[in-house]
Amino acid sequence: MRVVNEDRPHLFVLPEDDANSRLANGFWLEVGSLRQMYVCPVAGGWNAVLNHFESDQIADMYRCSNRFMVLLIDFDNHLDRIDIARDRVPLRLRDRVFILGSLTEPEELRRALGPYETTGKKLAGDCRDGTDTAWNHPLLQHNAAEVARLREHVRPILFPP
Amino acid sequence: MDIILIVIRRLYVHNFRCLENFELDVAGLSSALLIGNNGMGKTTVGVALEVLQKIARGTNRVGELVKPKDLARGRTDVPMRFEIEVELDRTNYKYVLALEFPQNFKELRVLEEKLEAGGNAVYTREPARVQLEIEPYTLARLAGQGSFPIDWHLVALPIIQQRPANDPIFVFKQWLARMLILRPMPSLISGDSKDETLEPSIQVTDFGAWFSGLLALAPSAYAEIDSYLKQVMPDLTDIKNPEVGKDARSLVVQFAGNQGSLNIAFEDLSDGEKCYMICGLVLAANRAYGPLCCFWDEPDNYLAPSEVAHFVLALRKAFQSGGQFIATSHNPEAIRRFSDENTFLLHRSSHLEPTRVRPLNEIPIKGDLVSALVRGDLER
Repeated sequence: MRVVNEDRPHLFVLPEDDANSRLANGFWLEVGSLRQMYVCPVAGGWNAVLNHFESDQIADMYRCSNRFMVLLIDFDNHLDRIDIARDRVPLRLRDRVFILGSLTEPEELRRALGPYETTGKKLAGDCRDGTDTAWNHPLLQHNAAEVARLREHVRPILFPP
Repeated sequence: MDIILIVIRRLYVHNFRCLENFELDVAGLSSALLIGNNGMGKTTVGVALEVLQKIARGTNRVGELVKPKDLARGRTDVPMRFEIEVELDRTNYKYVLALEFPQNFKELRVLEEKLEAGGNAVYTREPARVQLEIEPYTLARLAGQGSFPIDWHLVALPIIQQRPANDPIFVFKQWLARMLILRPMPSLISGDSKDETLEPSIQVTDFGAWFSGLLALAPSAYAEIDSYLKQVMPDLTDIKNPEVGKDARSLVVQFAGNQGSLNIAFEDLSDGEKCYMICGLVLAANRAYGPLCCFWDEPDNYLAPSEVAHFVLALRKAFQSGGQFIATSHNPEAIRRFSDENTFLLHRSSHLEPTRVRPLNEIPIKGDLVSALVRGDLER
């Protein structure tokens, strides 16, 4: 059995490190369809996320049109990483790939919003309820455009009515 | 909606196997994970809980609970001590049991025993006398009847007469008796039953009786079991528990697909499939007669790698809304599904040293956790 049911739309998350993995865990604990989401092992750096995406995930996304992907990275105050990352996503897949992350080190996010898992739950709650309570935090608000796309495509998958 | 908190706040164990001055603080956590190398004491934490649970389930002979060999490195000069603090629906309970092994004795005896509720003593115990401290026993005490003598080789908790429902002795004992301490041995689980229970054994060899007991208490629990199992085994259509003799039943699982249907005796399911079944019952039990506390020693055992994350997440999610799930694991996929705040590292440098426990958020880690575990960097 595969890690998700590929016959139905589903979301993979590629986290840069443990901190991002725990954010994703918190998000995952809040979704209604647990089995339509999977958080991959940590890549070990933002560039490693992109390398892993290119080497392991692109072919699978071509094969499986139900797959959506979040690349969860730290921007380390370099918001140009959004464009760098997007340039490495094939045009045909860009609608299904989302690039999200904290503006700085995740430790700052922890100090501001609490434990990663708790923050992940708040971010999921925002996605589910259409609010921006946590996403509006200065360390996260640069994600607004991607979050809007994520809501449009992923909310019906993970938070079915 | 208020969440009904049913959680272990603190477990303290002293002079029991590898646990010396061992304190596990899991207050406020709906789920927690114990990690560490083999022989570090993860399973022993479950065994300590099992000792306490046996008391709540009626075993009161000290010699049937622990043996002299359970004293840490054979130390007889200090008592063996168990303390558990739990929050049950906004009231804190604390149960203390200390045992000693005097010279020339063949089994340990009770040195101290105490139950508190809401900070007040319910009963106290000196070696051979129990003193009841709550109404109506305090009134009886005025008449010189609030205490009774007891054999010092017997634990008092199972034999003190309890009043129904809101008696703190009843509340605490029922919670502890119904706690799920699981170390399943799927190859030993047949699905046969002759009775019903809400208190499955550690190895869940009485799965059939648990299934029967749960559905007798709450028939609607089947919907919860069915809903979970159909996610992991989409071709499952039904679970039947027909009579196969006088007062005997045997579980049969039915699967169906385009080519027809197939009935499989429970005992013929794979080990992993039996674990799905156990998980289904845990989820349903927590809803039907919980919130419960569940200690599951290596829940990822027997599971396919692709199933571990969902299995662990399903349990963690279910216990978020009440109750507490504590797991041990060596499995990277299971370990990744917990966080710094709810993961505890157990470690000792040698078999001559006691187990030490540290929350992961107090341990500096280079790189990712699983890699550090594989390298053995965390134990330094």
